[in-house]
Amino acid sequence: MPRLPAAILLLLCSVAAVAAESPQRIVSLNFCTDELLLALVSSERIASLTWLARTDGTDSERLLAAGLPVNYGSAEEVLAAHPDLVLAGRYTTANTRALLARAGIEVVVVDAAQDWQAIRRVTRAVASAVGEPARGEALLAAMDATLAETAALRVTRPVRAIGWSGAAEDVPGADTLFNSILNTAGAVNLAARPVGPRGFGLEQILHARPQLLLRGTSSAGDRSLRSALADHPVLRALPGLVIIDYPEGAWACGVPAAADHALALARKLRELPADSAAR
Amino acid sequence: MKRSASTWWLLLLLILVALVSLLPGRAGWLLPWRLSGHEADLAHLIFWQLRLPRLMLALLVGAALGLAGGVLQGLTRNPLAEPGLLGISSGASLGAVVAIYSGIGAAFALAVPLFGLAGALLGTLLTLAVGTGGGMLSLILAGAAVSGVLLAGTALVLNLSPNPYTAYEISHWMMGSVADCSWQQVGLAAPFVAVGMVVLFATGPALDALSLGELQAASLGVDLKVLRWRVVVGIALAVGAATAVTGTIGFIGLLAPHLVRGSVGHSPRRTLLPAALMGALLLLLADVIARLLPLSQELNLGVLTGLIGSPFFLWLVWRMKRESP
Repeated sequence: MPRLPAAILLLLCSVAAVAAESPQRIVSLNFCTDELLLALVSSERIASLTWLARTDGTDSERLLAAGLPVNYGSAEEVLAAHPDLVLAGRYTTANTRALLARAGIEVVVVDAAQDWQAIRRVTRAVASAVGEPARGEALLAAMDATLAETAALRVTRPVRAIGWSGAAEDVPGADTLFNSILNTAGAVNLAARPVGPRGFGLEQILHARPQLLLRGTSSAGDRSLRSALADHPVLRALPGLVIIDYPEGAWACGVPAAADHALALARKLRELPADSAAR
Repeated sequence: MKRSASTWWLLLLLILVALVSLLPGRAGWLLPWRLSGHEADLAHLIFWQLRLPRLMLALLVGAALGLAGGVLQGLTRNPLAEPGLLGISSGASLGAVVAIYSGIGAAFALAVPLFGLAGALLGTLLTLAVGTGGGMLSLILAGAAVSGVLLAGTALVLNLSPNPYTAYEISHWMMGSVADCSWQQVGLAAPFVAVGMVVLFATGPALDALSLGELQAASLGVDLKVLRWRVVVGIALAVGAATAVTGTIGFIGLLAPHLVRGSVGHSPRRTLLPAALMGALLLLLADVIARLLPLSQELNLGVLTGLIGSPFFLWLVWRMKRESP
């Protein structure tokens, strides 16, 4: 009879001991946490990433992900990998997260960060969960340096811009990382101020009179209806409109590396023709 | 005399609705006096590059579907026959989806209507091969089965696509849309649809003879085999190429012939032209409603045609049950 509390105590001690160590078999269930994980820990500590990490990341991320196992978000895959930490997004893989929690696996839910402040918060949270707070701070310091460089490069008069990828109504508005990148780089997102209760079709995009159309591209290529629509001749006919392609997948994630996109865009905005910037 | 007059009225109504349909849109009302003066260049662009091709596509596709419905109902002597219910539209969708998502369509634009045509041909032949000879019900059941297989194929191709966003495009292929189309798409579909419609109109006299019964038609010199092939080829050209651009739009082919029969009578040949006009009118009205509804996302056309068409379909079934217990 007195054995039982002792056994429980022993169990609790071992749980505490494992938790104190930094996790060594980490699974990511979200493309954005894939990126954070690749930036924060060495490859041998990653048990699996999402399948998107192999196709939609940056070149270096794809290279790293090619040598790692991938998952498709199902609970079975994750359980089979015996992870000691699972990183997941808030809006996907809900069933998987519930099952993992029931199996006693630690799941850290990571919010989608839509601005630089949220990126700082999310990066610190994940860095401390994986036991690499110093590396997290280093990433954020690099981000702040890039943001400072971007601010120095900014054009004085914000460029009127809008994002579109061809799909009907698929225009990034306010409260998106896209919006934060634009504002930081020296552009104003016309879709952040909706013209009415309706969404944005091609007609509304024309009416908003953009100087710059940022056209989302997927790394998977142009084999889809949306990319065929994104090539609508009316866009080429609109006088003074500049079209720049951007990688939609990479711009979707609130990670410290997002500052690089802002810097690259700020450089491109400086190269815009003067007459279009003056309008 | 009275019959041709009703066709003229229908044509007049169609022209009126077509003209009015150019005014409303997502960017607000495009009024003629705004075509000059302030922001005239923008109004011109929206009119010539967005509203006009959209109108043309709606007319083209609606007419093709209405005519195809009239011809199919004449050939099968089945009031429930129409491209959407017989697996023809879903076959065309599958063909177009294969062309676009394999990348063939990007390299060779004509591949999209050609694949759509091939898919429509496949759907038509499968349904007719399995469903004819067993009465009205067996044709509709065969159509439902063929539609199911071809729709599953479409979903499969979309899910296999490496682009993570393409799964959202299934609503276009299953429910249809003419939103934001360009002259290029109209140009791709129009020649095929035009040839297909000529082929279909030419079957009118033979369909009239067939309405007397197969033996009577044969004695009047109608080769049923040849007639069937002409219909199949005409439908594949018209519906296949149209659907390859707009996606599946159901029930137009069912509704249009029934709506005009009241005024033009039951001769299949006399039904064809009014059915084509009515099809164009129905699709145009559906598109105008889709544009006017104050929703953040435009409705697909199939949502509206289905909301009106399905109850009508049920009513037809109910009436058939009552007439032949």
